[in-house]
Amino acid sequence: MSHLAVADQKSAVAMAPAMSLRQEIVALSQITKSFGPTLANAEIDLAVSAGEIIGLVGGNGAGKSTLMRILCGAMWPTLGSISFAGQTIGFVTYDTAEAQRRGIRMVHQELSLCTNLSVAENFFLETPADAASRPGWRRLYRTRARSALDAVFPGNGIDVDADVGHLSIAERQMVEIARAAATPGVRLIVLDEPTSSLDLDRSKQLRAFIRERAKAGLAFIFISHKLKEIIDIATQVVVLRNGRTSWRGDVADTSIDRLVQLMGGDANPVHQHGAAVAGAGDAVVRLSGALTSELGRDVEIARGEIVGLAGLEGSGQKDLLHAIFKPGKDGPVTRTGEAGFIAGDRQKEGVFPLWSVLGNISIGSLARRPSLGLVSDRLNRTAAGDAAGRLRLDESRFGSNILELSGGNQQKALVARALVADTPIILLDDPTRGVDIATKQDFYRLCNDIARSGRTLVWHTTEDAELLACDRVLVFAGGRIVKELSGEAITEAAVVGASFVHQVDKRADTTHRTAGAAGLARRLVNAAPFIGLAAVLAVMITANPAVASIFGLDLLLMPALSLVMVTAAQMFIVGGSEIDLGVGAFAGLVSVLSATLLYDQPWLGALALLAAVAVYAGLGGLIQARKIPAIVVTLGASFIWVGLGYALQPTPGGASPEWLTALFGWSLDFLPTSIILIAAVALVVLTIDRLPLGVVLRGFGNNPTAMIRSGWSPTRYALMRYLIAGLFAAAAGLSLTAINTASDINSGSSFTLLSVAAVVMGGCSLLGGVVSPVGAIAGAVTLSLIGALLGTLNVSSDYNAATQGLILIALLTLRGLTADRGSEQ
Amino acid sequence: MNTLSAFTMWAQKNRWIWAAIGVLLLWLVLSVVTNRFSLSSLSGIILSASFLTVVGIGQMFVVTTGRGNIDLSVASVITLSAFVALLTIKGQDANLAIGVVAAVLLGLAVGLLNSLLVVGLGIPAIIATLATGYVLATATLLSNKAIPGFAVSPALKDLATGRISGVPIMAIIAISGVAATSFVLRYTVFGQLLSAVGQNRAAARLAAINNGRVIAAAFIISSVLASLDGLLLGAYIGGAFLEMGQPYLLQSIAAVVLGGTLIFGGSATALGTLLASILLILIVTTMQIIGLPPGAQDIVQGIVVIFVLALAGRQALTRRTTAEPADGATPKTQAKAAASLPE
Repeated sequence: MSHLAVADQKSAVAMAPAMSLRQEIVALSQITKSFGPTLANAEIDLAVSAGEIIGLVGGNGAGKSTLMRILCGAMWPTLGSISFAGQTIGFVTYDTAEAQRRGIRMVHQELSLCTNLSVAENFFLETPADAASRPGWRRLYRTRARSALDAVFPGNGIDVDADVGHLSIAERQMVEIARAAATPGVRLIVLDEPTSSLDLDRSKQLRAFIRERAKAGLAFIFISHKLKEIIDIATQVVVLRNGRTSWRGDVADTSIDRLVQLMGGDANPVHQHGAAVAGAGDAVVRLSGALTSELGRDVEIARGEIVGLAGLEGSGQKDLLHAIFKPGKDGPVTRTGEAGFIAGDRQKEGVFPLWSVLGNISIGSLARRPSLGLVSDRLNRTAAGDAAGRLRLDESRFGSNILELSGGNQQKALVARALVADTPIILLDDPTRGVDIATKQDFYRLCNDIARSGRTLVWHTTEDAELLACDRVLVFAGGRIVKELSGEAITEAAVVGASFVHQVDKRADTTHRTAGAAGLARRLVNAAPFIGLAAVLAVMITANPAVASIFGLDLLLMPALSLVMVTAAQMFIVGGSEIDLGVGAFAGLVSVLSATLLYDQPWLGALALLAAVAVYAGLGGLIQARKIPAIVVTLGASFIWVGLGYALQPTPGGASPEWLTALFGWSLDFLPTSIILIAAVALVVLTIDRLPLGVVLRGFGNNPTAMIRSGWSPTRYALMRYLIAGLFAAAAGLSLTAINTASDINSGSSFTLLSVAAVVMGGCSLLGGVVSPVGAIAGAVTLSLIGALLGTLNVSSDYNAATQGLILIALLTLRGLTADRGSEQ
Repeated sequence: MNTLSAFTMWAQKNRWIWAAIGVLLLWLVLSVVTNRFSLSSLSGIILSASFLTVVGIGQMFVVTTGRGNIDLSVASVITLSAFVALLTIKGQDANLAIGVVAAVLLGLAVGLLNSLLVVGLGIPAIIATLATGYVLATATLLSNKAIPGFAVSPALKDLATGRISGVPIMAIIAISGVAATSFVLRYTVFGQLLSAVGQNRAAARLAAINNGRVIAAAFIISSVLASLDGLLLGAYIGGAFLEMGQPYLLQSIAAVVLGGTLIFGGSATALGTLLASILLILIVTTMQIIGLPPGAQDIVQGIVVIFVLALAGRQALTRRTTAEPADGATPKTQAKAAASLPE
């Protein structure tokens, strides 16, 4: 007993310096992660204790993101271990959900919110455990969201019931930060470039909040390229370089210059542009109109100039680049001569991932050649070799896949692409993003050379220091050029000053002005299925008043019931941004099963039906787990369903079980049965959609990455989605048997395409996440009435399909014309 | 081990090899198990496969434009084209030129309509071609009522069914088409642009490629090939019937995917499409020989498609995951990488 106590004391003494103040939350040790030949992380140790604010810095490609992904359970390391409060746990059991259980939250740079859900619903996604499947479950999250936002960002004015898609980028960032901070049981928050889209005041609020919470024991990892912020906020700084820890220490022992040095560059990497050739050349780009109204004169960009675009992010710099690349007719931008583009967002806008480096370079010269011209590898190689030489890009790597290159070398290949395109104007969209310092310096030198050779560079950068390399700088605020700086006048202070002073809210009113008319048009289009349904019914009742009777409506609408249910099934699939081309055939199979097996041997039949639904749901799991296109899989599955149906029942026939017929055959005196049944289906669909389950399904349709980061299992919910769809499709099959009192495997086939049409007509987005149950059902009823309508109008039923097709095209066209721009992409 | 990994590397770039191996294996098994298989029965299979290859090549162009683009209207185009051929040629060789022109015009019109909807109006390809299919279905019903009879021009019949020293003329047509397509894909500017557009549309646009024109060209090629295929298929079966194009919808997509063209776009192989067409027809023929009922044939075809996709899906997955060390991967690939972890 006694010596145990001594041992305890000893260890307590040994650990005292650490324990007294800080308790270790999590420690990564000897983390190594390799991707093929490249080591993204090598033997990194990182321990985080309560109350610490660790500033994590390093050039992109230094391994920060990989390390953070490992910490948050989104990726497993090749070697290394993780421990919580001194206890090592295996990585096998460590995933995003487990990380969250242990109190680790990450705020990602490319936001992890579902834009189709409200702020409160996004709070629910992060802490689902408190939700109950009953009406009013949102109230809790509304309160929680409100108080969390106010705690971090006092006076934010964000509506917690608004869809996140309607918030500005800065507001979304605030929501995301508040959401992480408000999570119960959170112990460590990783903030990846949290201030990139926040203005100075919000950034200060955030830092004040971090300091306050750190005092209370919460730990933070703060990743930022803005070293001033790191020095300001961090207690400890960790510098990564080439996947290794190059320094770790107290913030007091370091400085911005020292950090830059540790990251692998000198503090002042930008070389001033040599002899200014500005003004010597002819104007190649002219900016005028609203763009330059603040300046009061047009801006001309001459041959041989380097013009920088500065300002707060998203103030219109990118828009100008794209406007110069593709000038609109009578727009504020005109140019003479072709323009080439060098994208900084390499993955999204730059590389062709299937191609070699050479292929990625030589595509630059192809676009302007005739389509049937011949491509020669030898000529490409010579042309690319020239460009690569100037860029110090190793020619021996031409054969490698572009993705095997580092970020910096990929960027060099993209510059080489612009060089082989040989355009007099070159547009650069933040090209040094995530590029190491050495490559950056090559890059600045090259820009100088290019400009000297008589080409014009228009350069958008988010690193203000880079502007020193420009001959002239145009400072943007609120979508306009507010200041023009040139020569000696270009200093970081001047740029920052101009972009903040001219903080005008011009954008807000322009969007408001157009919103009125477009909003009305959009509402009209959204009401189209209802207007259409009313019109169709009106025409039919005018032609034949008997239609308006209970019997008449039943006769007309009962056949629509099956399509309505198939449409409900399809709607859930479309909500996950997929399309099921086998859903009609599946309903047909269920109909056959119920009219044969279920009729003859009820138990066996019921079992077969269950098995069919299970297989259908499993298909959804397969699609998700293997990442294969649902369209083709379900098209293949439709053959299986039809084949099974044929095998069971080669010719139409069978009989409907009595109870099934009774289920659909009852009647009330005052309302048509069909209308009650259709309304019931609508109610069920609407309920599922409003429950937490429906919110999660919509979340997956909108932003699966975010859902996975929040710890939701994509495969489980894919299974769930297909299970719900399968149940609706099966109900449709049963209704077919009951209504026809027999079955035919082909009876459901036409429903597949009609259901897609109905869902689209109803206003659901094929991109997923946006569903409108009532609209889709109205669409389904309208489409199923087309045949009867044509009959009433004495048009041959041959025109049935064409009418349905044309309605679909017309509606999509209208929707495309009235939709927000950008939302379609 | 070394030769195996060398083969794997090679096979990753030449994905048609799997279809080729499939054809060889199935062929071998059939020859051993039944004695009925000979070179002449192979030529019959190749003849049937040729019709599939022609429409498959068109489908391949559309699939290669990426974003899950698929032409769902090919089946309706084939059917309508066969009816139009009956209407225009009326069994007379003299009218053959008119018939061919009509088929090409039909293909062009449908292709243009599809590209107008997809490129011009931004409607997703599946929905656009689905809607076009509806409209064509009505046109087919109307022409079905108008056709004078089921006479087929003898010259066209010869083309569709004839042989030159034992080799079906249709197979020669299909194989030359495949060779020409391979050349276009590999050695022409258009082939490179198509691949670029399929891989990364934003990057293609910024590389000054006119994406709309490339995508439109793919849809037009698909419709024209389907239309010509319908003309020949009609001559082969000696007439036309409603739904005659229907089997080609799934089969054309299956042939494309089975052949090794990436369903995500950006990489196509015409040779693979040809081999996969032969493989698919072989499978169907095998089932007929075994005497499976039509229902079972459907089931097997469906299973083959899903099975192959499930395998190919993983290939694409590993490719994308290894692509990750490059910084700032897109959210989609990150999701994939994250989702692949538990495996």
